[in-house]
Amino acid sequence: MSRLGAAFTTALVIVVGIMTVLGLAVGEGLGNLSFIVQTQGLPVITDLFLQVVVITIASTIIIGIINLLSVHVSRITQRKGGWVYSVILVVSALAVIVITLLERAGILTGRPSLSAILLETVQVSIESALAGLVLFALVYGAFRLMRRRVTWWAMLFTLILIILLLGALPLPAVNGLASIRNWLLAVPVSAGARGILLGIALATVVAGVRILIGQDRSYRE
Amino acid sequence: MDSTTQGLTILIILFTMVTSIVVTQFIRRRRDLFLLREIPAYTALPMMVGQTIEANRPAHVSWGSAGLGGANTLLTLASAELFYQVAERASIGAVPPILTVSDPTALPLGQDTLRRAYRSRGLLKQYRGSSVRWYPSGPRSLAFAAALTATLGDDHVGMNVFVGSFGAELALVAEAAVRHDQPIIAASDQLEGQAVALAMSDHWLIGEEIFTAGAYLEGTPAQVASLVTQDVLRFLLILVILIPTALAVIDTIRGG
Repeated sequence: MSRLGAAFTTALVIVVGIMTVLGLAVGEGLGNLSFIVQTQGLPVITDLFLQVVVITIASTIIIGIINLLSVHVSRITQRKGGWVYSVILVVSALAVIVITLLERAGILTGRPSLSAILLETVQVSIESALAGLVLFALVYGAFRLMRRRVTWWAMLFTLILIILLLGALPLPAVNGLASIRNWLLAVPVSAGARGILLGIALATVVAGVRILIGQDRSYRE
Repeated sequence: MDSTTQGLTILIILFTMVTSIVVTQFIRRRRDLFLLREIPAYTALPMMVGQTIEANRPAHVSWGSAGLGGANTLLTLASAELFYQVAERASIGAVPPILTVSDPTALPLGQDTLRRAYRSRGLLKQYRGSSVRWYPSGPRSLAFAAALTATLGDDHVGMNVFVGSFGAELALVAEAAVRHDQPIIAASDQLEGQAVALAMSDHWLIGEEIFTAGAYLEGTPAQVASLVTQDVLRFLLILVILIPTALAVIDTIRGG
């Protein structure tokens, strides 16, 4: 019975997937082919599917909040390591939810709103402080790369990192490095980045097709 | 999308579809037809999971901000395959593996992947949905990075797989993992995150290697076929870039 169910859901996903691809890729601009697709009503069905996806995605935030609270409440009840932080998280989350609900109901009417003040003063400032720490973590990363093993590639990585950092300084003494930095960013870095992105794009196409033809793991089990 | 792009898109999808199906049939008949080159991250992963189980610690996998419904939907599905491979091995241990995500759409996928991993071992009763955790990302994913930093210490994680969508904030998490002496496998679809992965992880994956976890760690004909199809497309792309370049060079030489 479960196999029959799996076969049914697989068939359903394949049909919906192929209809969506056809609706999006052939829906308009391809002459007679597009006309055939339009007369079958595929673009309308595709729009409907996409709207369902948007609504489903929006509702997952509720699942996320329930998950966040349940994970941390269980940490508190089981007295797991760092449970005090979980208490702070649960209390903060509930407080912000209550404040936002009161604001929406028109009971809290201050301007700027209390939830906006909390966001600006707590979250943005903490995230800014963390952003400052990223620099030190990156420098530590370069140090770690050299400490782990001194290879030609690691030395090249560190050399280019130093050139890029020095080249960014607004000093007349390092003007020569600035032009090397610009060349590095425009030619090898850009080429490498495009290579990586092209690889990801090709793999994405293949992964998408695997799902369309029902070869993904979720269909097999 | 103009009609030329539309036509090319359809052509690429059809070509990929046909190649995948044909290559799958070939591999079903002869499993040793294609040899996979070694990827150190996939070679090391089973050993890392084994050591984590031995140490009675959880394996930690994170997808960063990868989620369903957006541009990185398929990256999320590829990361889910890698998580399945880790969870399927780690599920026999006493401590369940942990998955952290910052996009709530990835949460149901993560829970389903973990549930299937436990079911494949016949250990469905041990499955706990709370092993998959959502931490909100904030404007720059730094809140998520901070949450992960705490998780690594509080849960005494044994190994980390950061494969998904990460920016430079991965450096904060990786630094915390290094401080706790936890091994890292990392990869990201964002270039800043990929650079950090290269510098700070023990083993890394680059670009399309993220999508090949199934082929390397399980190796069913369909998974290997998708890898071969990727290679075929890659060679075609190289030809499409090289041939016009060569023609332009020849044209310039003749003209000069």
